[in-house]
Amino acid sequence: MGVTQHRWDDDQHILDDLSDALGEAALADTIAEYGQGVYAWRTVDQDLLLASLSFDSSLERVQDRRSDPDDPRVLVFTASPLSLELEVMPGHVVGQIVPPGPGEIRVETADGVTFHVEADDVGFFDLPGIPHGPIRLRCDTPTGRLVTDWVRL
Amino acid sequence: MDNGDYPITSLVDAAAAGDEEAWHEIVDRYTPLLGSVIRRFRLATAETEDVVQTVWLRLVEHLDSLREPRALPMWIMTTGKRESMLYLSARRRTVPYDPLDPLWLVSSAEDAEPLADLLHAERHQALLAGLAELPARQRELLLLLVEDPPLSYAQIAQRTAISIGSIGPTRGRALERLRQTFAVRDHLAGPARVPLVSDGAPASTAPQPATWIDRERGDGSDAAPLG
Repeated sequence: MGVTQHRWDDDQHILDDLSDALGEAALADTIAEYGQGVYAWRTVDQDLLLASLSFDSSLERVQDRRSDPDDPRVLVFTASPLSLELEVMPGHVVGQIVPPGPGEIRVETADGVTFHVEADDVGFFDLPGIPHGPIRLRCDTPTGRLVTDWVRL
Repeated sequence: MDNGDYPITSLVDAAAAGDEEAWHEIVDRYTPLLGSVIRRFRLATAETEDVVQTVWLRLVEHLDSLREPRALPMWIMTTGKRESMLYLSARRRTVPYDPLDPLWLVSSAEDAEPLADLLHAERHQALLAGLAELPARQRELLLLLVEDPPLSYAQIAQRTAISIGSIGPTRGRALERLRQTFAVRDHLAGPARVPLVSDGAPASTAPQPATWIDRERGDGSDAAPLG
């Protein structure tokens, strides 16, 4: 910290460090281009609950190498009073509406493709295959409607 | 006042309220920071594209919760890092454990990463987040001053409409302003690790949910009770 402080007191040093930092920030054009394109996806529906990704077992696994890498990946999206849980298995995704109950699930991809599946009476649903790239799920139930965070499965 | 001069909090408010120009400004200002975060994971180009698209898409929906000036860069760093780590997690299933493999070094707990690399990255990210806080004119000047190959003061004067004689003093003021930004001041105040869990960003260490699929796949007739 002391070294950094001293170094950045000098104009040329802080500018050199900034130059290094910018030089290392690769792919700027690609990153900006993707950023400019996503605003159209902004949700304007005020009645829709945003269900944030509140648990992702993959991130646990990165921290804890004792866990079994073959376990299915579990994701939980929470938006009180509704949440959605997903388990990703090889070639296959199953999900659960919480609290359990019927509903309609719509899977949305960033290239505009959507498809529907029905959850059964206890809120269980099944996605055919694993969609590629970022997706989000919309869920309509008698108690409410939610949209999840964007994730990659 | 041009969008380029608005403080981050105003841009976030405007973008959350539907102002697309404000969103574009946010993207321009924070692209270097996101690039710097992701770069450390040495992902393939297609993987990087998926990560950045996911981060931006998710950010659009989270603007409402990021109205505090430090919240946005922290969110970008945390989410960019987590989304990059998911690739490491996926690869880990096919790559045998090797403590000397950089893949494992980066992806293991933060303290396993060489301290010098971590400090180096933190220093750079503080400067890039600080740069994003500067008014447009100062930001543009600093970007021109670090161009590679370097530009002459005459070329910079031509591009910025700052007279050659004013470039030196303007540079000095811009750098002083950079030292006063939240990001740089916070960095100098003490070592701050980017937490894996922070307010406004999706948590990863919430308690493990009850395992609810402990039956045959696709059999929806007898769902286990949920917690």
